[in-house]
Amino acid sequence: MSSNKRLFWWLVAPGAIFLILFLILPLASIVVFSFWRTESYTLIPDWNLDNYIRILTDWTYIKFLLRSLSMATIVSLICLVFSWPIAFFIARYGGKFKLIYLLLTSAPFLTGEILRVTALQQILGPIGVINMALSTFGFEPIQALMYTNTATAIGLTYLWIPFMVLAIYLSLLNFDFELLEVAKVNGARPLRAFWEITWPLNRAGSAIGVVLVFIPTLASSITSKFLGGPNGALYGNILANQFGSTGTWALGSAMGVVLFAISLIVLYIVWKMVGDLKRSGVTIKGGAEL
Amino acid sequence: MTDTVLKLDNISKNFGPIKAADDINIEVGQTEFFALLGPSGSGKTTMLRMIAGLEKPDTGTISISGRDVTNEPPYRRGIGMVFQDFLLFPHKTVAENIMFPLKMQGASEKDKRENLQWVSNLVHLEGLEERYPHQLSGGQKQRVALARGLVSRPSLLLLDEPLANLDRELRKEMEVEIRRFQIELAIPFVYVTHNQEEAMTMSDRMAIMRDGKMEQVGEKFSLYHDPASQFVASFLGSPNAFEGVVSSVEEGIAQINWFGHSIRARAHDGLQPGDRAVCYVKSEKISMLESGGALTGVLRDIIFKGQYADYLVSLGDGHEITVSGAPMTGLKKGAPMHLDWDPGKADAFRAQGGAQ
Amino acid sequence: MTALRIGKGVQILLLAALYVFLYGPIIYITYVSFQANSVWPFPPEFTAKHYISLWNEENYHSGFVNSLAIGIGTGVIASVLATMAAVAILKYRVRRSVYIAGLFLMPLFIAHILIGVSSLMFNKMLLGLPGNIFSAILANATYATAFAFLVVVAQLARYDWRLDEAAMVFGATPGTTFREVTFPLIWPAILGAFIVSFLLAFNNLEISFYNLGATPTLPTLAWGSLRHGVSEELYALAALINVAVFIFLGVMYVLLRTGVVRLDYKD
Repeated sequence: MSSNKRLFWWLVAPGAIFLILFLILPLASIVVFSFWRTESYTLIPDWNLDNYIRILTDWTYIKFLLRSLSMATIVSLICLVFSWPIAFFIARYGGKFKLIYLLLTSAPFLTGEILRVTALQQILGPIGVINMALSTFGFEPIQALMYTNTATAIGLTYLWIPFMVLAIYLSLLNFDFELLEVAKVNGARPLRAFWEITWPLNRAGSAIGVVLVFIPTLASSITSKFLGGPNGALYGNILANQFGSTGTWALGSAMGVVLFAISLIVLYIVWKMVGDLKRSGVTIKGGAEL
Repeated sequence: MTDTVLKLDNISKNFGPIKAADDINIEVGQTEFFALLGPSGSGKTTMLRMIAGLEKPDTGTISISGRDVTNEPPYRRGIGMVFQDFLLFPHKTVAENIMFPLKMQGASEKDKRENLQWVSNLVHLEGLEERYPHQLSGGQKQRVALARGLVSRPSLLLLDEPLANLDRELRKEMEVEIRRFQIELAIPFVYVTHNQEEAMTMSDRMAIMRDGKMEQVGEKFSLYHDPASQFVASFLGSPNAFEGVVSSVEEGIAQINWFGHSIRARAHDGLQPGDRAVCYVKSEKISMLESGGALTGVLRDIIFKGQYADYLVSLGDGHEITVSGAPMTGLKKGAPMHLDWDPGKADAFRAQGGAQ
Repeated sequence: MTALRIGKGVQILLLAALYVFLYGPIIYITYVSFQANSVWPFPPEFTAKHYISLWNEENYHSGFVNSLAIGIGTGVIASVLATMAAVAILKYRVRRSVYIAGLFLMPLFIAHILIGVSSLMFNKMLLGLPGNIFSAILANATYATAFAFLVVVAQLARYDWRLDEAAMVFGATPGTTFREVTFPLIWPAILGAFIVSFLLAFNNLEISFYNLGATPTLPTLAWGSLRHGVSEELYALAALINVAVFIFLGVMYVLLRTGVVRLDYKD
């Protein structure tokens, strides 16, 4: 092994070992636990498929799973549609303000989910400022904002849209905007140029953005708990319950494995849809301006 | 060579399927300016990086001042280097940049100051010591890079296309300067470039590389005037090329039939009658006669270049020959031209893929 | 041409809308935190009572200290591990290093709740460790490493590694090279990675929650308080955390933009 290779592995090893020990092994362990059984708050190594059978046949679990899936799909699409023009503007016209725009976009994300949800409750909830204003001025309050899935969807968009903007922006960083001028010289209108040039060259960024929004949204429990109200529970809430009041860890593990498996499937589907990643703009070196 | 400083023995290096160095042997003496010349991708930069220790050869040995350094890391080779793009440390002042090699050697403060003084005088950088690289012009950066390479009085200085990013005038000036430093310090310089003019101006000896192979090594004059391979003949100067069949070889001079014209040149590669050969004649070695000559044609154009001029001669059958010479005012376009050359100044080689 | 202008106008409008959407709630809650009537604070009636009650709540003191510990611990682990890996991958360009990069980015694609519960069970069942601040730091450091890695790689993409080679040729060992050349030029990236991972761990709920046992942090206290109907000192807390985040990001911006050391050095 050359000395460069040796140095490479010495530098990479601590992080790699750390991630294997504290991320991959625990994730693997819940696969094991998912085939066990829980008895009075303890896990019993009694191999069985009951947990999976229950999740995949009991309508309650399927219903929550479907609800979470459609929530994740809708929120990802909303984020995708709104993030594109925003990211495009920052990358194309941001100039020396690019960094400011990006920091402003990502700053709220760093505040943490719980405090952001607290802030949103003040806006959207039954005594939130929107509905209070409406009733103060004699209008009907908007029911959709009060403890509904719509409120949850707004909240999740609020939480995760920074990821989508960042992902698309990063792919646009390596995009040569002069290609658009070439397209226009050759007769393409702006939307057509976008569809023919910009989108295909940057769809990898969109794909990564979609996955980055889809996965946490699918697993969401806090936002739906505090914005969705008693009838707005999602798969994540049921999953969290297994580790809270009911203490059915084995069933919770199986729910976690199902969630993880769906994440992988979505990752795979999006990957396939993107196709040849080399032809699109995302590279690991992309973030020079970040 | 008795005063050899750098010695490369049977150096080979592959990057996957690409041969970057193929059995290279070089010796460079104490006071030599040695140029490594070749087109891009010829392996000359890899060569230099191996001498510096930034790449390791697959086989072969490198020794500096009699010490085998093949397995030594760069920081134990005691050499100086001037990089393409200068590569000054942007967070260090000019003085800190220059003194960096001394700092690494653990030199005393007094030593560092003295050497800084000496080298800034040598390269004319007085007064710029406290500036940062971004406050310097291209020429100044170049001087700092040179000073950094020389300050520790290394046993050997490597230069990797150091002038590639300077404009033409600055380049001319630096060529002379670099040669001056080398003579003054009396240490070997190994200079990598793709610019043959640069190599010719500065070096004593040069090596010409292609596809990782050393095509020819020697005095710059002998390389220019007596090329030993087809590549060297075609690469140096601006030669005219004629490809045809050898009709006879006598006393080392081949007679070549080129589209009905009879052309003569020194025979290489053991050319025999019937072989396909390609003959190179440098444009300034062709003389323009009043009458007769091996080739005749008409003057199509004159490209005036200042100290000399290129005369483009059409041979009537569509071929064109370039002749360089002193600028003349009497010649007009369309004038009849008679060309010939001393066969001892032209070289014929076996054509690639020609008959054996 | 006009279509282009309209397109650009729409984009600006959307960007503005995004900021209103993102910052409206933040600004409003900051306003509410100073209001006596938090439900309908119009006309304004300023007060500092929420801040005073936040200050008087002993729980929040220990919560703050614990959050700080988790943030610093996670920040140090994540930025060190991520910097080492990013330098290795970008500097040595070993073949297949893209798989290593994939490993370091993987936590981005795993839901926090899964990281939380899996490390809870792994620690408890296999290692017999009860939840405490250290297990929370380790679990937070997994995904924080991914973010730190992104930040460092993004910054280092501009770094000219030939500067390291130059240092080596002039006699600097790999260690000295890092100290003399690499680190002085890349430290803003490392600090940026630390700030991001610190903030993420400081404010994390889902991972910390499952790994902490009975140890309170600011987010878990906020969660508890929100579960029992909003208590008003939460507004003060949210306002303060937002201000802190902005100060940190301001520091980062100044470092990246106006620092003596500019990573965009390249002629």
